[in-house]
Amino acid sequence: MAAPKRIPAAPRRPARRNLFGPVDREQLQLEYQAALRKDLDEASLRWGFDFRSDKPLEGSHFLWESVPGAGVPLLYRCQDAGRVQKTAETRTPPKRRRSELPQREKENIPLTENIFNVEKTPEKEEKAGMKRKQTNITDFYQAKRRMVWMPRKSGE
Amino acid sequence: MELLCLEMETNIRARPDPNLLCDDRVLQRLLTIEERFLPQYSYFKVVQKDIQPFMRRMVATWMLEVCEEQKCEEEVFPLAMNYLDRFLAVVPTKKCNLQLLGAVCMFLASKLKETRPLTAEKLCIYTDNSIRPQELLEWELVVLGKLKWNLAAVTPNDFIEHIVRRLPLPEDKLALIRKHVQTFIALCATDFRFAMYPPSMIATGSVGAAICGLQLDSADQSQWGDSLTDLLAKITNTEVDVLKECQEQIECVLESSLREGRQQQQQQQQQQTQRGPSGKGLDELDQSSTPTDVRDVNL
Repeated sequence: MAAPKRIPAAPRRPARRNLFGPVDREQLQLEYQAALRKDLDEASLRWGFDFRSDKPLEGSHFLWESVPGAGVPLLYRCQDAGRVQKTAETRTPPKRRRSELPQREKENIPLTENIFNVEKTPEKEEKAGMKRKQTNITDFYQAKRRMVWMPRKSGE
Repeated sequence: MELLCLEMETNIRARPDPNLLCDDRVLQRLLTIEERFLPQYSYFKVVQKDIQPFMRRMVATWMLEVCEEQKCEEEVFPLAMNYLDRFLAVVPTKKCNLQLLGAVCMFLASKLKETRPLTAEKLCIYTDNSIRPQELLEWELVVLGKLKWNLAAVTPNDFIEHIVRRLPLPEDKLALIRKHVQTFIALCATDFRFAMYPPSMIATGSVGAAICGLQLDSADQSQWGDSLTDLLAKITNTEVDVLKECQEQIECVLESSLREGRQQQQQQQQQQTQRGPSGKGLDELDQSSTPTDVRDVNL
C-alpha cells in the first residue's frame, strides 16, 4: 500500500494495516543473522572470549578459568543448541587485571556505541570479600558468583 | 471459575506511593538520569538514508493507534518511541523494516510496563501479517542488543505526578489535567522535533499547555504567585525561555494536528457523500488516533 502523497501520515481507519509494503523475508533473515554475528563479535571482543568456539581469546583483559558445569546454577549451564555438548565444563570469568580498565562511577550509561567506552566494572568484581549492606543473591551463591556467559550487567 | 473470570477482568494497581511522590530526591534523580536515555543523534541527517521524518510519523501514529486500541498503559507508547529513536540513531534501517521495528519496540515497552503485555501474535496481526511472530522475536533480540538491554528509560510520563503535585491545582480537575497532559505527551512522541528533548521538558511543557488549555491559570491569577511558567521551570530546573518555547511548540503541534483532523474529517465526509457510507478505501482521520479529549482543549 503506497502512502498517499497528499497527507503523508494518513492511515486507513483500522489500526491493522501494513505501512510500507511487503517485507523482503530473505533479506530480513540475512540482516538478522548479520546483526547477531556483529553482536557476538562485539561481545567476544569485550569479554575476551570466543563464544562460538567456547574458548578464551588471547590477549584479553580477562583471565578465564574452567569450572565444572555441575558446580554452577542451572541458568548458567549451556543450553542452546550449538553448545549443548560442552556442558561438562563452563568457564568462569574473569579475574580482571584490575589496572587495565578504569572503573567508572556510573552504571547504565548507554549513550555511546563504542564498546570500549561502555565497559564498566560492577563494583562487586573489584573485591571478592567486600562487605555489603544489602543482602545479595551472591551472598548465597558465593562459590558460583563469578560465572558469566553474557555480560553480567544488563545495562552495559 | 467465577474467581478466574474476575481475575481476568481487573488490573490490580498499586496506589500512588507518597514516599516516592513526595520525596524530592526521586524527582532529582529522574532529572539526573533522564539524559542517558535520549537518542544520540538527530538521526535523519546522520544515520538514516532510506527513512524520512514523515515515515517516523506514520509508524508512530500507527503505534499510538495500536496502543490505544489495546488499551495499553499510557507510558507504553512514549517508551516504545524512545526505543525506536534510540535504535534508529545507531542502526541504518530500511523503510520496509520500520513497521517491524515499531512492533518490536511496542512489544518490549509493553512487556516492561504491563501486567498483561501485548503478544507477538497480536502485534503481527496489527501489521496486517506483514511480519511473523518469529521475526518479531528475532528482531527483539537485535533491538535489545542495540539498546544495551537498557529498557527502563525515563519517559515524560514519569514526571507528571511529580509536577502536578507541586502545583496549586484544584483537586477536582486533577484527573482531567492528567489526561490532557498524557495526550500532549503522546502527541509529542509522534513528532520528531521533540525526540531530542529531555523527557522532563516535554512533561513540564505538556503540563503548562494543559493548564493553559483548560484555562485554569487565568481563573485565579493570585494563587500562582509567580507566573505558571516560572513555577513550572523551577520544579524541573528548566530555563524559563526554553520551557516557554517548548510549550508553544506543543501548542502548535496540537493545533496543526487538530486542523489536520478537521480537514480529514471534512474530506472523509465529502467522500462518504460521494461514495456512500460503505465506500472502500476512505482516507480516514489521521488523528482519529489522538485521544478524543484533545478536542476539548480550548486554545
